[in-house]
This record gives sequence, structure tokens and C-alpha cells, in this order.
Amino acid sequence: MISITGLRKSFGAATVLNGIDLEIRQGEVVSVLGSSGSGKSTLIRCINGLEKIDAGKITVDGFDVSKPRELSEARKRSGTVFQLFNLYPHMTAVQNVALAPIEVLKVPRKQAEAEARELLHSVGLTERADAYPSQLSGGQRQRVGICRALAMKPSYLLLDEVTSALDPEMTSEVLSILAALAKTGTTMVFVTHEIEFARSISSRIAFLDKGQLIADLPTEEFFSATGMALPRVAQFLSKMRKD
Amino acid sequence: MKFDLSILAKHIPFLLEGAWLTLQACALAVIGSLVLGLVVGAMRTSASPLLNRLAAIYIDIFRNIPFIVQLFFFYYGLPEIGIYIDAFTTGVVALSIAGGAFTSDVIRSGILAIDPGVIEAAQVSGLRKITIFRKIILPIALRASVRPLGSVFINLILTSSILSTITLNELTGSAKIVASNTFRPFEVYFVLLVAYAALTYSVSILIGMLHRYLNRHQEEGAV
Repeated sequence: MISITGLRKSFGAATVLNGIDLEIRQGEVVSVLGSSGSGKSTLIRCINGLEKIDAGKITVDGFDVSKPRELSEARKRSGTVFQLFNLYPHMTAVQNVALAPIEVLKVPRKQAEAEARELLHSVGLTERADAYPSQLSGGQRQRVGICRALAMKPSYLLLDEVTSALDPEMTSEVLSILAALAKTGTTMVFVTHEIEFARSISSRIAFLDKGQLIADLPTEEFFSATGMALPRVAQFLSKMRKD
Repeated sequence: MKFDLSILAKHIPFLLEGAWLTLQACALAVIGSLVLGLVVGAMRTSASPLLNRLAAIYIDIFRNIPFIVQLFFFYYGLPEIGIYIDAFTTGVVALSIAGGAFTSDVIRSGILAIDPGVIEAAQVSGLRKITIFRKIILPIALRASVRPLGSVFINLILTSSILSTITLNELTGSAKIVASNTFRPFEVYFVLLVAYAALTYSVSILIGMLHRYLNRHQEEGAV
């Protein structure tokens, strides 16, 4: 379980997260929605320890991410997929995927690379396994990014606007993979602007507004009268649907 | 006066010995300055204010003192306090230290140019700091640094001629001897000029090849 209590985070004078309480249990797909600047990405970056939190507590399976000793254990349990892919440019797709299993989990190289190839095969990249990131399209890069996160067999997959840098065609490539993952019961925290897609795969929706969690509802309730009763949610949904 | 290279024929073995010494000194100094540059470049980008400061001081000092002064200090100064090092070792060490001040700056900017997102990806996947440095930061920084490192190394080769001032008969030193023995400075220094040009030109070709080889997969936009 990922457990977040009383999380606060500021950058200088700007308070980005202002007292967040959120729990994500095994098997859930939680989409985090909210307008730009509402703190969605920062929330993910706090969970994986890329940002130091100012107050509150985040634990991943009981490991406190603000304690350096426990952070590495917490990080072993979660995998992150980034908006801008962040692949290692000097490594092939296979090497990108196999690096952490080899170095962190001490899987023998051959086995790690075979598993990497299998993962890449499962996302339709069999032919591109030995290509370098610069030789791949955006959608292909993001699929490698997903494989790299999955290679560590994480209990939780953290997805930070993973389709925001992709065109609609590539977006659907990536989303169909995520939909398949959701079906297999992978726990996901999904920060996104893809409202309809979030609706189709999530068990729950968390809605952030100005650093506060103003809704945390089962998906269908969020999109029905309960969600619409919250003025910010109604405003957000009507705006997003118009676009 | 007649331009006649043939009078140098019997001095060729002696000049080649000097050239060989230059090659050895330069090869060792290239390795030395690269190792030093990696260590200091890493210190310069580290989170520790102490290491960072120490590295900055080293770079500032050795980039702002003429090489010949550094060399004289090591070779003629240190014996005064009981430290005796032979001319060749002194030369290599001095070149490495002076070169290291430049290579570390190149490597530092190579490290700073890395997309922070790439390093974050390595961090969240649980890699240890030392692994991230060895497997991610260093290879990316070095690939970007090949050309600027090349010009530092070429400068190093040119600077190695100054080692002749501490009794080391490398290429320039032996040329000086031949010139004074034959009274034909024009021919001797002409050959010397061509020799250095050939040496640095072949190094720059090698650097270009290395750069293209290491960056062969970096062409953007290829699908």
C-alpha cells in the first residue's frame, strides 16, 4: 500500500501540495486529475523520492520515502514512467530495460536481457529491441520507458503524464498497453490529462486543485452526480470535454 | 644559404629517440590528465561543498599559472625541500596536473549538460550513486566531451615541448642539440615544425573518428 498523510510541499513561496491524504492499495488503478499546476506531477515525484517533502509522511509498503535508508526499499517497489521518457541515450532499448535488474536485483546479464526482450516483445517492439532511443519514435520510446519500469517487477507503477509528449496516434499505442496492464491487475497511479481514458481504466479518481485533494471517489461516482456536485470538478470536466 | 635536409640524415636516429620520448610523455600525460579530469570533474559537480570548493581551487590555480612556472617549481623548487623527482616523471606529472585542470572543466560541462530527467530515471530505478555515475553520467558526459577533450590533448602535446627546459631531450630538446651541433637551425626547426604538425594533425583525425564512432547512434530524428 502507498500511504500518504498530511503531505505538504512548497517550492520557495509557492505551496504546491497543501495537506494531501491518499491511500493506494494493491490492485487499484488510481487516476490523478486536475488542471496544470495543481500539483499532480509533484505528487508522483514525492512518492518516488525525487522531491523532498516538507511535512507529512509517505510510505510505500511501510517504507518511509523521506528516510534515506528506506527510500531505496521504497523505490524497489515502485516503477516510474516519465512524460519525456528519460531513456538512457547511450544504451539500446534492451540495455535500458535490463540495467536496473542487473545492477539492483543482481539478475545475471543474459537472463536480464532475455527478460527485457520478452517485455519489449509484449509491447510490440521485438524488431526494435537493439535500437537506440534516438532511432525510435516517441511512442516507441515511451513503450521502452514502460518496459524499463516493469522490468523491476514493481508493486506500483507511477505514470507521470506519460502521453503528454505524444501525438494522438502514439498516445493510443501507449494507452492500449496501459489498458492491458490495468487488466492484469497492475497497481497504477496515473497522472494524466486523458480524462476518458482515465475513466475507462481507473477504479478511483483523485482530483487535485491548488495543491489540495478535493475529491477521492470511485470512478463512476466521480463522473456522476457526486463529482458534479463539486463546482471545481464540474468546471474542469466541462472544460476538458470542450477541448 | 642552401636548404639541404640531407645533412640531417645522420641525426635522424637521435631525433627519433626524442620523438619517442615526446610520444611516451604525451601518452602518459593524456592518461594522467584524463583520470585527474574525471576525478576533479566529478568533485566539481558533486553535492559536497567541500569537494566542490577543492576542485574549483585546483582548476583556478593551475589554469592561471604559466606552465613553465609550474614546471620549474616542480623540477627546481621541490628539491629545495628534499623532494627529488627525475625530469621525465616531473614532466609527465606536471603535464598531467596542468592538463587535468582543463580536462576537468570539459568533463564538468559534459556532466552538467546531461538531461536531469535521465539521471532521475536512474535514481528512481534504485541504482546506487556510484552505479549511476559509472553507467549513466560518465559515458554520456565522455561522449559529449570527445572533441573538446581532443583540443586539450593537442594543447598538451604542444606544451610538452616546454619539457625541454628541464633537461629532458624530447623532440624539441633533441632538435635544439642537433641545431647547435650542425649549425643548421633552419633545416632542423623546419623538420621539428613538420613533426609537431603531423603529430597533432593525426591526433585530431583520431579524435574525430572516435567522436563519430562513440556518437554513431545520436543522430536526432532517425526513426
